[in-house]
Amino acid sequence: MVLVLVGCSDIQTQTIPVSKAAKFPEKPITVIVPFAVGGGLDLTARSLEKFAPQYLGQPLTVVNRPGGAGTIGWNELAGANTDGYTLGITGIDMLLLPLYGSVKYNYPTALSPIVQVAATPMVLAVQTNKPWQTLDELIDYAKQHPGELKFGHGGIGSFPHLLGEMFAQTAKITIDQVPFSGASEATAALLGGHVHLSFVNPMVIREHVKNSTIKILAVTGEQRIDDAVLSQAPTFKEQGLDITLTNWYGIAIPKETPPAIKNKLAEGFKAMISDPEFIKNMNNIGLPIQYLGPQETQDKWLADSQKLTSTLEDTGILEKIKNQRK
Amino acid sequence: MEILDLLLQGLSVSLVPANLMACTIGVIIGTLVGVLPGIDTISTIALLLPFSYTMGSTAALIMFAGIYYGSKYGGSTTSILLNVPGEAASVVTCLDGYPMAQRGRAGAALSVSAIGSFIASTIGVIGLTLFAPPLAQAALAFGPPEYFALALVGIIILTNLTGTSTLKSMMMVSTGIMLGTVGLDSLSGISRLTMGVPELDRGFELSILAMGIFGIGEILTVMTKPTTPPTLPSIKLRDLYPTKEEWRRSVPPMFRGGVIGFLVGLLPGPAATISSFASYAMEKRLSKNPAEFGQGAIEGVAGPEAANNSAVSATMIPLLSLGLPFSGATAILLSGFMIHGITPGPALITEQPGMFWGLIASMYIGNILLLIINLPLIGVFVQMLKTPLNILMPLIALLTLTGAYSINNSMSDLVLIVICGIIGFFLRRTGFEPGPLLIGVILGPSLEQGLVRGLIICDGDIWAMITRPISSLLLTIGALVILYNLTSWLIKSNKRRREGSC
Repeated sequence: MVLVLVGCSDIQTQTIPVSKAAKFPEKPITVIVPFAVGGGLDLTARSLEKFAPQYLGQPLTVVNRPGGAGTIGWNELAGANTDGYTLGITGIDMLLLPLYGSVKYNYPTALSPIVQVAATPMVLAVQTNKPWQTLDELIDYAKQHPGELKFGHGGIGSFPHLLGEMFAQTAKITIDQVPFSGASEATAALLGGHVHLSFVNPMVIREHVKNSTIKILAVTGEQRIDDAVLSQAPTFKEQGLDITLTNWYGIAIPKETPPAIKNKLAEGFKAMISDPEFIKNMNNIGLPIQYLGPQETQDKWLADSQKLTSTLEDTGILEKIKNQRK
Repeated sequence: MEILDLLLQGLSVSLVPANLMACTIGVIIGTLVGVLPGIDTISTIALLLPFSYTMGSTAALIMFAGIYYGSKYGGSTTSILLNVPGEAASVVTCLDGYPMAQRGRAGAALSVSAIGSFIASTIGVIGLTLFAPPLAQAALAFGPPEYFALALVGIIILTNLTGTSTLKSMMMVSTGIMLGTVGLDSLSGISRLTMGVPELDRGFELSILAMGIFGIGEILTVMTKPTTPPTLPSIKLRDLYPTKEEWRRSVPPMFRGGVIGFLVGLLPGPAATISSFASYAMEKRLSKNPAEFGQGAIEGVAGPEAANNSAVSATMIPLLSLGLPFSGATAILLSGFMIHGITPGPALITEQPGMFWGLIASMYIGNILLLIINLPLIGVFVQMLKTPLNILMPLIALLTLTGAYSINNSMSDLVLIVICGIIGFFLRRTGFEPGPLLIGVILGPSLEQGLVRGLIICDGDIWAMITRPISSLLLTIGALVILYNLTSWLIKSNKRRREGSC
């Protein structure tokens, strides 16, 4: 009986909106960015906005809903209409938030991915005028001076914070975290020498590396970064530390949206992301394209989520961050 | 001289018709954003980003910059005419601008603020031209301990701006500091005092508080007055412009405001707002008759209005030479730059000299255009006062609410601004000055975060924290101010006692 009912409702959701889906989209589509202007997620949304009319037939309207480390915007997305006219930008923080508890939705299950647009590793950056010039030297120094080194990040529980804790754990060193409000403030503190190290987005720091005020000691990606300036920095893996996590940017929609509409959006975005102009544009911003379709993105969410959960729980980092949140 | 060559080169870029056009459009939109109460620079630029995609990158950047610095020109208009600030940075202008308008000197106040804006902007752009990279480096010397010291001294100096009851001012500052703690705390990552309302996680938006308490509060005050206020004296053309005496008094504040605004603008935070408060405090202290402040002292309009403009020019310095946006408005400029394929940073000046110097040169041109646009508008705005208040005020209220909604696209902000308006209304009635409240909201988080971060960095050693060179200098200034205030108060009360005993 239950099966029949479920079957029926499935058919209904699929058949009725098909005629609607054929005409979709008939009006501009809203894209929620759960952070303030500036930053990777916002830039991804605005780059998509630039190319949308050509590929989706309708413009995208980017709205910033900042606050609550992303929860306000993603909650709104998860609870939005399922007519396909409300999309949202996603990033790895979306997987982190439910792990710390106390969010209204479990985003990886409440949302369904349309596409992954870009992916970028993070880099461990230090000032060039400090006594440590390689990852080993930094770790040695930290071992001889436990608790002396401080790392800055843009917010408790954010991806860079997590990477800092992971680094301390993996390298068996004691470094203290200094929470700032946002990545810009954290980067300024690193540039001014008020903190000793920081995990940052490679493109934010690229100009300073070129200017040789900042040195990158390690990259969190599987491979080195494909860039004239940044390719000199080795990965953590090369240097024998198991820290491989990349930040990614994509588009998601409320789970209950009819498949026909989802497919239409997925196709539109896929075409957009293959446009050489778009790729060039994203490379300029420092967000290299790494396209994944809906199913592959879903798999990646699951894999990343599991990886994060087990690493965070096994190493006690989750407990540590939860304690720091008090 | 090399700089002069580069600037001339930039001038040739910015005078290309497409770029000159972009500059003109930018400053016109900027003027509208400034004049209309509540309409916010950030959301305007965000809204216009899609339209810029077909423009050349230099033209687009010139236009966005034009909107940004142009929006600080007209911000004082509604403050002066109606006592309704168009944005947080113009709150201070109400204090003396509105009394001037009531005396029939609205035209003079508007002229002084437009010309002050022009002079200070130009000071700011000259600073940007000559010293951008070294100043950006100097700004980096400010770490958490320095921000703590700065916020503490700021609160000491700025608390009792209006000279009403010190006790009431201190109560307002404390309330402001408490309001500043509401929201998701960046130090612990948990929500504080939000009572489960997710929208409050964002904390109180400065512009919502300012426009609510001051703007909506004033509108309510006017609308609930039983009698219509006396009609203003009709204004003759020569009354529109400042008298010789007014000129003499406003030129030095313009230059002082220009310098102080520039310095404040280099640091993170709502620079335009802080700088206008700082300039007001300074002018009042330097004035021979401080009692005139609050009654329509022209210095109190000229200084702050100049300061918020040069602050805006200065905020371009960390953006252009470090690639770091220290405020929301520069963050959206950064987005605009990046979308157009330009990454600001230390190499920008050497790698894209055409773009960089073109942008700087356009700021000189833009400021001249703004002066040309704004001066004739003064006559128009003053005529606006002939409109009966029962038509004008609801219109302004509507504009303010529209603007408030546009900041975060949030309905809850609308509820909040109305609540703030009602609070502002009662504060006025009970003689509490809401200025210090705003100071608390702005500087409170800096104070707390500076202290906590500073203590982490200095391993919990508060002595190490306050003896860092810049912090100790700042704190010494603060101590001297307290000492000065204390002695002058003692001398005064001594005198009073002696007079009383006679």
